[in-house]
Amino acid sequence: MKLKNILAPELITVDVRGTTKKEIIQELLGLLVKAGRVSEVDMVLGELMERERKMSTGIQHGVAIPHAKTKAVKNLVACIGIKKEGFDFQSLDGEPSRIFIMTLSPIDRVGPHVQFLAEISMVIKTEEARARLIQAKNAQEVLAVFGL
Amino acid sequence: MAHEMMVLALQLGVILLAAKFTGWFFASRLKQPKVLGELVAGMLIGPFLLGSIPLGSLGPLFPLVHGTIPVSPELYGIATLGSILLLFTSGLETDLPTFIRFSGKATVVGLGGVIVCFLLGAGITVIFHPDVHSFMDPEALFLGTLSTATSIGITARILSEIKKISTPEGVTILAAAVLDDVISIVVLSVVVGISLVSLNGGTVAWSGIGLAALKAVGFWVLCMVVGIFSAPYLTKGLKRFQSLGLLAEISFGIALILAGLSEMAGLAMIIGAYITGLSFSQTDVGPEINERVKGVSEYFVPVFFAVMGMMVDFAAIVPVLGFGMIFAVLAFVGKLLGCGFPALFVGFNLRGAFRIGAGMLPRGEVALIIAGIGLAAGAIGPDMFGVAVLTMLVASIAAPPILIFSFRGKPGYKKSLEEQDEADMVYIELEFPSERAAEYIRKSLAEAFRAEGFYLNSIEGSVRSWQIRKEELVFVMKRCEAKLEIAAKRQNESFVRLMMLDTLADFQEFVVGLKSMQSPDLMGANLMINMFAQEDKEKMNRSE
Repeated sequence: MKLKNILAPELITVDVRGTTKKEIIQELLGLLVKAGRVSEVDMVLGELMERERKMSTGIQHGVAIPHAKTKAVKNLVACIGIKKEGFDFQSLDGEPSRIFIMTLSPIDRVGPHVQFLAEISMVIKTEEARARLIQAKNAQEVLAVFGL
Repeated sequence: MAHEMMVLALQLGVILLAAKFTGWFFASRLKQPKVLGELVAGMLIGPFLLGSIPLGSLGPLFPLVHGTIPVSPELYGIATLGSILLLFTSGLETDLPTFIRFSGKATVVGLGGVIVCFLLGAGITVIFHPDVHSFMDPEALFLGTLSTATSIGITARILSEIKKISTPEGVTILAAAVLDDVISIVVLSVVVGISLVSLNGGTVAWSGIGLAALKAVGFWVLCMVVGIFSAPYLTKGLKRFQSLGLLAEISFGIALILAGLSEMAGLAMIIGAYITGLSFSQTDVGPEINERVKGVSEYFVPVFFAVMGMMVDFAAIVPVLGFGMIFAVLAFVGKLLGCGFPALFVGFNLRGAFRIGAGMLPRGEVALIIAGIGLAAGAIGPDMFGVAVLTMLVASIAAPPILIFSFRGKPGYKKSLEEQDEADMVYIELEFPSERAAEYIRKSLAEAFRAEGFYLNSIEGSVRSWQIRKEELVFVMKRCEAKLEIAAKRQNESFVRLMMLDTLADFQEFVVGLKSMQSPDLMGANLMINMFAQEDKEKMNRSE
């Protein structure tokens, strides 16, 4: 799976403004809609929130990975949002989440979906990479962290 | 033509019935390997015993065919197909990295066996045969050669039956047996060359012999290298068809082609089949192919062993019983010592050395084919052909129980041979309140991995374990009572953790759903009420 095919500057924001879980997820989903990757917004939003309700996707070190399986996409899509001041995403270590990586994968197609999430989280495993993401001024600087 | 095919259908039917029943009897009643039962079935119903009895207008069901192979070419063809299937699946069951790791050790073992057996076989002929006075006598050379060839088929089948193919000993035996075949071909071409000269005069054509040997070794090395490097790309391409059945069928087609090419290069067909299986074994779909091909091989492999049993001509054994028994016993000792002794120096302990020696004991049709070539060249007489038959008979009957016995107990290798990369592994564990809950999560996790494009295969053992594999990514999942564990390399840890996290999230949802379910008591009561609803209704109707 090539990051280059999935991530693009229009799928990245370094200024997430939402102040609730729903608003943040909605904002990220907006990026995918604007880029023409998702159309059925309400359905997808419901699915993402449903996944959050089951168990928060806020993992450690200020990273959250909201994700869902949905009929609304035919291939894996992803977007990234940075919220410098952070937001309490009910993550495991209680740390506010600053880096949001959202993925949507097709429900009925076999493919490396979680594997993509794992690969991306491997990149941001180091504190240095995470610091570079949080300090990024634009989408290009975010992509550079992923070697793009 | 129609008559031959009718006879073939009848023969195959009788072989399958006899081989399956005898195989079952040997396995479940006598606690012996099935293969022994199948060999014995072949001996009993073959052209030298019951098969020669005429059945009315049909004549004998297994009429004796003159030449080295006493059965019809059609039947021998089906048996050959069985041997190709057997070695293809054996290759698929072999662990390629272990095979490569142990190939150096196997070379030592294989060479040791060939040298000791050849010297013992030729030596005993010089000592006991009144007309043979030197090692260079064609008769001594041929008897030396036919004692070297190991029957990889019998060993592969037993190792597969007892699930020991991928152990260091199992892999060493198979690799050494494959090498044995290559060396035997080289030795045979040398022996035929020398024999022809000593029978007809002239000089030994060393260049021709060298060329034949080079062709065999070159083909073997080329196939191994090309097969191992191309199989992962090939399966990746074939996965586009999205049919594992098709993938298995195509890979078997490749095995057949390579088997044919292998014969063309002067090697046995089974070598090509084994290399194909070995190449596919490393791919993520290896076990899936094996599972599908195994279904077919269950039908054809017993035919191969029964036909091998049919080659035992009891009448040919009688005149050479004394010398033959000494020869057969020494051929046994030659392999045990020749293969076992070098194994002691390459990391195996005494138990492992015995296992390896025992694994190299079986002699099969190759010994007969070598003897047949000697007979046709006039290098050996029919009496020495009888010795080959007896050697094959003794080895096929005695080797399987010895091999099974040898594999009991502790590992047969020293600590230095154990895998070293344990430090790089992480073990992620989850403990559940009950076995049922653990099993539910295990199944959900399996589904989740399949949705990610992974293939799962159950691994035999005391603890239930599964190999989860996609291309170069490999994890092992184990469930021991209420505990679930996944072993992964450190660099893939995040992926496994995320997979487990999502499965747990679904499980939580399931539990919440269960709690909100209508009381099971009430559900049960409803079930019972409805059970007698019809009767109650009829009663009411009657009372009205």
